[in-house]
Amino acid sequence: MDVITNVMQGFGVALQPINILYCFIGVFIGTLVGVLPGIGPISAMSLLLPITLSGTPESGIIMMAGIYYGSMYGGSTTSILVNIPGEAASVVTCIDGHQMAKQGRAGPALGISALGSFIAGTFSLVALMLVAPKLASVAIAFGPAEYASLMVLGLVVLTFLTQGSMAKALLMACIGIVLGLIGLDGITAQPRLTFGRIELIDGIGLVPVVMGLFGLAEVLLNTEQVIKRDIINAKITQLLPNKEDWKASAGPIGRGTLLGFFLGILPGGGAVVASFASYALEKRLSKTPERFGRGAIEGVAGPEAANNAAAGGAFIPLMTLGIPPNVVMALLLGAFVIHGLQPGPLLITQNPGLFWGIVASMYIGNVMLLVLNLPLIGMWVQLLKLPYNVLFPLIILFTIIGVYCSSNNVFDVYVMVGFGVIGYFMRKFGYEPAPLVLAFVLGPLLENNLRKSLILSQGDLMTFVERPISAACLALALVLLIGPLLPAFRKKRELVALDEGA
Amino acid sequence: MTTPSRPAFRLDNSEFWTGILGLALGIFVIRAGLHLKLGSINDPGSGYVLFYTGILMCLFAASIIVAAVTEGGPTFASRWDGARWSKPVVIIAALVVYSVALDQLGFLISTIPLLLLLLRAIDPVRWTLAVPLAVLAPLGVWWVLKRGLLIQLPSGIFEIG
Repeated sequence: MDVITNVMQGFGVALQPINILYCFIGVFIGTLVGVLPGIGPISAMSLLLPITLSGTPESGIIMMAGIYYGSMYGGSTTSILVNIPGEAASVVTCIDGHQMAKQGRAGPALGISALGSFIAGTFSLVALMLVAPKLASVAIAFGPAEYASLMVLGLVVLTFLTQGSMAKALLMACIGIVLGLIGLDGITAQPRLTFGRIELIDGIGLVPVVMGLFGLAEVLLNTEQVIKRDIINAKITQLLPNKEDWKASAGPIGRGTLLGFFLGILPGGGAVVASFASYALEKRLSKTPERFGRGAIEGVAGPEAANNAAAGGAFIPLMTLGIPPNVVMALLLGAFVIHGLQPGPLLITQNPGLFWGIVASMYIGNVMLLVLNLPLIGMWVQLLKLPYNVLFPLIILFTIIGVYCSSNNVFDVYVMVGFGVIGYFMRKFGYEPAPLVLAFVLGPLLENNLRKSLILSQGDLMTFVERPISAACLALALVLLIGPLLPAFRKKRELVALDEGA
Repeated sequence: MTTPSRPAFRLDNSEFWTGILGLALGIFVIRAGLHLKLGSINDPGSGYVLFYTGILMCLFAASIIVAAVTEGGPTFASRWDGARWSKPVVIIAALVVYSVALDQLGFLISTIPLLLLLLRAIDPVRWTLAVPLAVLAPLGVWWVLKRGLLIQLPSGIFEIG
């Protein structure tokens, strides 16, 4: 009964006209950035982070969340019609989605993608409603040692899942921690690594770092290539999948939803991991795996359901523990902090309107997305024809504006340009930015909890292994760190490792 | 199946030099941590986490260097094989100049030329589209921010905008 009462309270918040408007803006922008290659949800969310300041916390966070799950829907459109992933979680949809489009089945591919996303998104919301309050009540018992160990685990999982060398990913995570510690020490108020610059006293802003590493660097990389687009020009008809399509897709959608939701909850996991895992699972379970890569609808339905379910699941660690499991959630944490809110075990009890309002808005957002992505598909197809030589300069303009508006300070524009250049070279040399950004956000929290736990335990390191949750997190982190040294384990890692980028 | 022979180490191995850069950064962080005071394990100081993070950075960088020496790695030139490297160079140079000019000249005077340059430099947009877009987009943004959101963009020494 409690859940129903809470959901009703949530809808009371979400159905306020201003919140409906923000939700619509969020899912619309999310679909837009999902459709447009070169700009992902991370760039869009960091660009719009300053705008959330002008409204209530509910409105701002509803919009930011809408961008995230909206981009999961939009990304599939570009993958299916152009064979270029609109954002990282849709990479795998290109494989069979574009083949289906080439065979004249773009409609069912888009349809099953949107409907599968809707089903998975709705399931993950129901699960979020049921799991989050329970986990939050358990998380109240967490001490600094548990938090520190959980953050270590989150960083290790992300570095484990990052494409390429794990040493490089771990180095990036360490650099992220160092960057996060720039500014005044939270305990002693001593300035650290500020080089006498007053602008660095409060640390480096998350927005310029993310906009530089993901927005600008992505544009710089894209301008190097002549991007050829193989757009399906035929009129898109019969968006609703037929009986056979549904029969083939029901299992993959169900499995993708469950798999995606659980992978979304894991620290360091996320929508990208979920979509790849779902594709691999469907191919393995299929009686005719040879159809995969040649237009199998299961190869679209499963991953699309998985990435949307993961997007919902990822809210759980943020809302209940205050730990962002991925870069997108780190940005959402930034939005909470801007409004003076601290996500964590007490959020649900202290701010029930906010928590349940966000959850309820996601139901509304999912329905909006279904309308935006099925009847209005033609509009997005037109947008795909926008030339990149016009789009890229405009993206650069908006990154500059977004960064400046976040602080009204030109120094942040320097930081953004600097990180844009660093991000470009990082990608060229095979260093992924995702571990750096997550560590940048978690660094100060990790340091704070580590120092607190050492002070509380009077320097006894056993505090990290005597507490079962902390010990389990550290043991798992250790397995993931040592594992790649074993050849069989390394091969498995290479199979699941992926680009967590844009 | 033939076993591939171990590649000879080349001085232009990009993996090696990025590892060296990581090592240098790690040493810098260790020094910064020591300078800030480590404190004790009972009461960690401001440099405690920095110091140990620096040590980890050195370890990871060393492992990258060892892998580069023993397994080889792509050269700097090969990283840009087939890429139009001049495009990002132009954009980076334009953005550096823009960053310096933004505070001095103001948003409108510095952004209009930047946008025009980008529109012509990436994959040239025809002048008849590039000029109006380069003028109208910054003007539109400036108007929305100033009038709608009451955000003041830099107006520079000429106080335009």
